[in-house]
Amino acid sequence: MSELAQPLSLNVNGEAHHVLVEPRKLLCDVLREDCSLTGTHVGCEHGVCGACTVLLDGRPVRSCLIYAVQAQGVAITTIEGVAQQGTLSLLQQCLHEMHGLQCGFCTAGIVLTMQAWLDEHPNPSEAEIRGALSGNLCRCTGYHNIVRAVAAAARQRGKEAAE
Amino acid sequence: MTGSVGQALLRKEDYRFLTGQGRYLDDLAVAGALHAHFVRSPHAHARIRAIDVAAASGVPGVVRVVTGRELAEWTTALRMAPPIEGLHPVEMTTLPIDKVRFIGDPVVCIVARDRYLAEDAAELVAIEYEPLAPVTSMDGALAPGAALVDETLPSNLISHQTFTAGDPKRRFGEASIMVEAEFHQHRQTHAPIETRGCCVVWDEGRQHLTMHVGNQVPHPYRTQLARRLRLSESQVTVISPDIGGGFGQKIALYREELTCAALARVLRRPVRWREDRTENLLAACHAREDSARTRAAVDKDGRILALELQITEDFGGYCFYPANYVARVVALILTGPYRIADYSYDIKVVLTNKCGYGPMRAPMAMVSWIIEGTIEAIARKLRLDPIEVRRVNMLHASDLPYRMPTGETLEDITPRETFETALARFNIADFRARQQADRRRGIYRGVGICCVVESTTYGSAFYKAAGIPGSGHEAGWVKIEPSGAVNASVGLMASGQGYETTFAQVVADALGVAPQNVRLNIGNTDTAPYGMGSRGARGGTVGGSVLTLAARALREKVLAIAATLLGLNSSGELRLNLGRVERHLGGVWTETPLSLTDIAQVAYLDPLRLPAGMEPGLEAHKAYDPPPMTYSNATHVCEAVVDICTGAIHLQRYLVVEDCGTVFNPAIVTGQQHGAIAMGLSGALLEEVVYDADGQNRSGSFADYMLATAVEIPPIEVISQHTPNRKTPTGSKGMSEGGVMGAIGAVMSAVNDALAPFGVVADRQPLAPDYIRTLVRGKMPTP
Amino acid sequence: MKPARFSYEAPTSIADALAALAARGTEAKIIAGGQSLAPMMNMRIAQPGHLIDINRVSGLGEIRLQDGHLVCGALTRHADLARHVLAWTHAPMLAFAASTIGHYAIRQRGTLGGSLAHADPAAQLPLAVVALDARIEIASQSGNRFVAATEFFASIFTTVLAPHELIVAVHVPLAQPSEGWGFRLFARRAGDFALALVACTAVRNSSEIAAVRLAVGGVAPTPLRLDHAVPKGFGAADWIEPAARAIAAAAPIEENERISTEYRRELVAALAHGALTDALENAT
Repeated sequence: MSELAQPLSLNVNGEAHHVLVEPRKLLCDVLREDCSLTGTHVGCEHGVCGACTVLLDGRPVRSCLIYAVQAQGVAITTIEGVAQQGTLSLLQQCLHEMHGLQCGFCTAGIVLTMQAWLDEHPNPSEAEIRGALSGNLCRCTGYHNIVRAVAAAARQRGKEAAE
Repeated sequence: MTGSVGQALLRKEDYRFLTGQGRYLDDLAVAGALHAHFVRSPHAHARIRAIDVAAASGVPGVVRVVTGRELAEWTTALRMAPPIEGLHPVEMTTLPIDKVRFIGDPVVCIVARDRYLAEDAAELVAIEYEPLAPVTSMDGALAPGAALVDETLPSNLISHQTFTAGDPKRRFGEASIMVEAEFHQHRQTHAPIETRGCCVVWDEGRQHLTMHVGNQVPHPYRTQLARRLRLSESQVTVISPDIGGGFGQKIALYREELTCAALARVLRRPVRWREDRTENLLAACHAREDSARTRAAVDKDGRILALELQITEDFGGYCFYPANYVARVVALILTGPYRIADYSYDIKVVLTNKCGYGPMRAPMAMVSWIIEGTIEAIARKLRLDPIEVRRVNMLHASDLPYRMPTGETLEDITPRETFETALARFNIADFRARQQADRRRGIYRGVGICCVVESTTYGSAFYKAAGIPGSGHEAGWVKIEPSGAVNASVGLMASGQGYETTFAQVVADALGVAPQNVRLNIGNTDTAPYGMGSRGARGGTVGGSVLTLAARALREKVLAIAATLLGLNSSGELRLNLGRVERHLGGVWTETPLSLTDIAQVAYLDPLRLPAGMEPGLEAHKAYDPPPMTYSNATHVCEAVVDICTGAIHLQRYLVVEDCGTVFNPAIVTGQQHGAIAMGLSGALLEEVVYDADGQNRSGSFADYMLATAVEIPPIEVISQHTPNRKTPTGSKGMSEGGVMGAIGAVMSAVNDALAPFGVVADRQPLAPDYIRTLVRGKMPTP
Repeated sequence: MKPARFSYEAPTSIADALAALAARGTEAKIIAGGQSLAPMMNMRIAQPGHLIDINRVSGLGEIRLQDGHLVCGALTRHADLARHVLAWTHAPMLAFAASTIGHYAIRQRGTLGGSLAHADPAAQLPLAVVALDARIEIASQSGNRFVAATEFFASIFTTVLAPHELIVAVHVPLAQPSEGWGFRLFARRAGDFALALVACTAVRNSSEIAAVRLAVGGVAPTPLRLDHAVPKGFGAADWIEPAARAIAAAAPIEENERISTEYRRELVAALAHGALTDALENAT
């Protein structure tokens, strides 16, 4: 396709969004501006801070490093798709209870990254949690309560799985 | 009745942040908004010879391209000239016209349909520069014949103050033991995860400007903005949406924001700007680059007889704040928790060709490292235990109130108590045994201690005494609506501190309602009362105090109305409890038929039933000026292992015993400690703004400017030992910056303790692994 | 930081990808994971006029055994390589190296082929393939060719790939049963590019160590094999420390204004010490 704006169809949180954008437009910008889903935040535009993390077919990726045109035909999950009808997910609830957020700007990226990670790592140690979290920068919390929240979510999932 | 103050209530803010429904600046949809983008200087120091914007202006979708010259017509310059001895006045145009002073200096502004286009057009702007010799260090700035960063000044020394209390020279003459120490802190920057940005809407019909900007001090910002645009303050509204971190970077009225405002007026279109991360690291605001030296006269027990401080600060190229603003606080409170009467300081602040300086969470942060490092230097020289040297010098409770040599009064602080608790909780004796055993195995473990006395909540009397124009008061209002709903406001602006929750707790308790029913409404200068904003760890104390006063006043009115409605002579036996009026009868609180809603209905809609002479409505506005200074204290302890082969530092344990007075919400206070400590550790270990010899900034991305991740920051144990401040209405003290002070001091101290067998001292930051290796290379440890 | 304009295509077969490369030449750039390329494009350091997205090309993402080799498709994501049972069984160093790259989200997207083509001297996978004597399978419209990993990297960010060529797979000789391995790196923070890396293998022949392969990364324009610098008498008592120092002394370390050569040499010694220790320990 040429460099001019193209019609794209994106599947975001189970809904189809039809947009008209240049191939160079970043997925994070298309989500925020063309899909009006501003929960995904932009912190660095070079893939380091993790604030822009979304899920593509369940895998966390930095949406500042993907062009929207690349994301056709995949299931995109943003933070807006996590809580179900206003009910927080387990991890969101744990972050709330453990005071795992302050300004909130990095929070969406952390929820999506760690939610996907917990699916693969059901019984993590604190060191493993910190390692997984290292791809998301937070300037407010010092990470302490975020780690507690992820550990609490893991324990709770473990309990539910056992029941 | 149990109040909610002191409870770790979960935050009201969380729901929107967790579900992606926060409203940060960039989330605001403003129809028809154009996007601004700045073309910035690639040179550290250069004259602007010519600017050619023709090609850029011709790009389809580009609406306007402007330079400093046009902006000088639409705005006034910033004159920074407070009446402070030793401080040179300076002026700054909105965008530079004659020369650029640092790499990243904004020179041209492109306004286009979108940011992508604007960046395309930026590549077509042709600017002819004549490079000048760059000033890239403090020494370079002061060298004879150095290029002048500001050509209206006689030299690059923009500020120089000295002070003497007692007779330190005499003490130095008398003393047989002198100890000298050095402390070099590197340049850092705030790096909030949300960069700067703004969106300006000019209403031509109303001749009114609305500036949407994430800013910690909306009212002072509005005053500045109106003045610079030659508008009346009533023609300007500043609205701060949710802020993704401020830390002091979002206080000043920046040139980019002012440019957007001027353009919105001229173009009669909304103009918005989003700073990218490179711009944020290069050109927003820098901090912390200071070099200090202390000289102490001591006796054989390590008692400090006199202390001298020299400090030099690299303020960068532009003054968004008075140049003496930060370093002076270091000098002011250096003696900290120690009994020192004979003290002198010499502060020099220089201009260089770097991004301008500003306050960064705990602008005075290095002060605790300096005094604690001096104590440790004394201990090393005299071969004493640094814990004992602290004990010898530290204030006892019986010494308080204590007048510091600089005139500051320390009272209602507990440095000795937090110190002893911290040592006990950490179990120093056990640590020393482990340390010894590890040393025999070639593992170098160290413990660092840092005693912090934190200056917070600066009051008007402080500014007056310091000759600084400005006020320290805060304003607030509480309103009960006809339905009984409670709204409150204060002149602060949150950037993560949880005000919506803590102040709801404060108002709820002072008024007598449930915190869920109190809504805090802040950040809009049209509705919030004029306050000095959030900075200097003042928010909790001034906000909590003024809201308490307003809520109490309102409660009195409510109960007076209740008394009248109940046919009582006075309200002495009445209270409001969770929105219901109760009466004390026969030693027991009993419900009356009246609810807050009933009273509000009367106050607004049936005022003839009010007590004689009482005004209708239920609103209370108050202002509160805190004491000149409110101090809090803490003791930080950090355990680190230094890998001698690679220089890597691993933090294994961190605890802080803190006394910040009455606490509204302990979870939020602990969270603030975590965040402040993490910022201090991150700065001391990893972050570094690097300018090379040509003045090129080498740290323009998060790959180069390294923030600590969850791996580098250890778990942080916070032990609370709160004693109230008797001079604030709620007993609270500020606390949100002390963690930075303690962390910097504690980690430096820990590394030095670990390296002690090598006979070396780390006196500079960051503690990069190659720096550690430089210290120990070729040295053999003594057991 | 928004990228400059580019035209875009997403071929679904290797043949189509090669045709696109042949047609566009140096104007085009392949994008796979994009974890290295996209930041450069966002900063406008890279401004390719045409992007060929190979993420939808079939046949490039598998890992299989073939002819005594572990064959990994160029589109193998780091996360998949890091947990693939065949990789852990037959080329554990490679799997481990992949697990240390960047962060969890980066590993979901970054690819083996992309990492090798990008040729960052401080990257893990280029070092691992050099240490393991892998062969890079390269396709073009004139057919496929193989290049030894030790000859694939020409200089910093430069390989022997021609503009019309595409990496399709990496062939790694299966690890010998008695082979131990070590892979150590030093970075300032979790997930950062390393300041130095050392990878080595050691083959045990009944009671003694018969062969050691060792490669160093992050200190020179390309990863380098330093087998010749490994002193004989592998695995003898007190052999590791002097061996590590000898390797460090032999490593050609490029000048870097931010970090002293002396320090990097010390890092190489420390990492070599650790990697050799690991390799000897798990050579069974």
